[in-house]
Amino acid sequence: MPGVKKCLQEAMAIPGAIGASIVDYTTGFPVAMTGAAPNEDHEAAAAGTADVVQAAQSRSLFVSAVPHDLLEDLIITTAGGYHLLRLVPTDFDSRLVLYVWLDRLRGNLAVARRRMQTLAEQLVV
Amino acid sequence: MTPAKSPGPAGLLTRVAGERRTGALVVGGTPGGTVYLAEGQVTYAESAAAPGVGELLTASGRLAARTWQAALDAGSARATVGRLLLDQGHLTQGELELCVLGATYDAAYFALAAGTAAFHEGVRHWLGDVVSIDAAALNRESGRRTRLLNEIIANPRIDTAAVIPVPRPPRERITLTAAQWELLVHADGQRTPADLAQLLGRAGFATIQELRRLAALGLIEQPRARATDNPDFVRLPRMRGASAPAHRHAAPESPAAGVSIDLSIDVPLDGDTTRTRATPAPAAALATAAPASAVSTSAVSAPAVSAPAVSTSGDPPAERPRLDRRKPGAKLPKEIAAEPPQPHSGTDEVLLKRIRTALRALR
Repeated sequence: MPGVKKCLQEAMAIPGAIGASIVDYTTGFPVAMTGAAPNEDHEAAAAGTADVVQAAQSRSLFVSAVPHDLLEDLIITTAGGYHLLRLVPTDFDSRLVLYVWLDRLRGNLAVARRRMQTLAEQLVV
Repeated sequence: MTPAKSPGPAGLLTRVAGERRTGALVVGGTPGGTVYLAEGQVTYAESAAAPGVGELLTASGRLAARTWQAALDAGSARATVGRLLLDQGHLTQGELELCVLGATYDAAYFALAAGTAAFHEGVRHWLGDVVSIDAAALNRESGRRTRLLNEIIANPRIDTAAVIPVPRPPRERITLTAAQWELLVHADGQRTPADLAQLLGRAGFATIQELRRLAALGLIEQPRARATDNPDFVRLPRMRGASAPAHRHAAPESPAAGVSIDLSIDVPLDGDTTRTRATPAPAAALATAAPASAVSTSAVSAPAVSAPAVSTSGDPPAERPRLDRRKPGAKLPKEIAAEPPQPHSGTDEVLLKRIRTALRALR
């Protein structure tokens, strides 16, 4: 049962990881962060992350009508990298997302996604 | 802490954090709150408008109220509540950290908003140090959150006024998020945003954020400034305290009677020596009287030191309410009757006895 810092360290151990953070997506604030961030600004990146998650959660296109079919993760790919967003399910009220930025050449999307799933679950179980 | 009060809460936080101090920054006013620091790093914050760690964990059902209370009872005194919950396996490190981080940023937004701030050195929170947050980041984030709210709709009264859903939605078809639905279902026209946040175990900021969105959608009433908010609209008559000034004049004299007796005895005594008139303190006056008697100087001046203390203890009666008319010889009310014997107990009796002995010796 790792703490927040340990969790981010393990996220950075994912092959190709450049930066990682845990973002509160109601406010768009990075609760914890490590490594690099797009444009070298973790806070701006977090604000953008929050917008993306909120868009995905509130727009009907992505919202499932099936009960408990909740949003799990979002993957954005660019020519140079992968941006992975994994929702952290906590029992208490919080709206957190684990964000990892991967280098496209060194990173493996499938591996990273599985590792992030484990990390997000370990953090709160 | 008068010098620490001058800047606002945010300014004071920056200062105490810069000085790497440990203690609690208490912010008065509404909602007010407290920010706890350990060596300049923020460890926790609480505010009436934001549910604390305990409320978040128990309202969500993550912890049984019993479990939380047991940890609180066992760990409060030594500030180890957080550690206890981890050691007993009720929470994981990650959960506790995330919960405390969320609660701290949430409460700090309310605590740092406005109000009079004072720093209390050395105060620790019972939770213990679970996280450490940079004070500058906390300040910056609180400011950013204010802007976020104003971008939705710039009406800060929504954050504090009772939430009243509109009787009829302004459109045929409305879409709500889960959080908005929860709020509308529980808004009964009486509950304030803070009440709803506590009730639902939702973060205070997230609650008012959703409420502002609801207001922007026209689904809850927008509170307006009322005429009664203006303090000058109706001026109530002042409370009548006619008896107070009369007491204020009378009171300082009666308890000081023991002292003034000493002086009046003294003055005729030293009339022929003519040099003690200028000495203001009864202790000094008595000391000059002593050589004439068999009593030693030190023995007299020692009990006389208590005389100023006696006269100051006689001051509180000035604030007493006026007593009802009583029958002659009736006893005083208990709370007042208990006080007057105090000036005459112990040392004064000794003092009077010595003065009497001194007088007798002079005859």
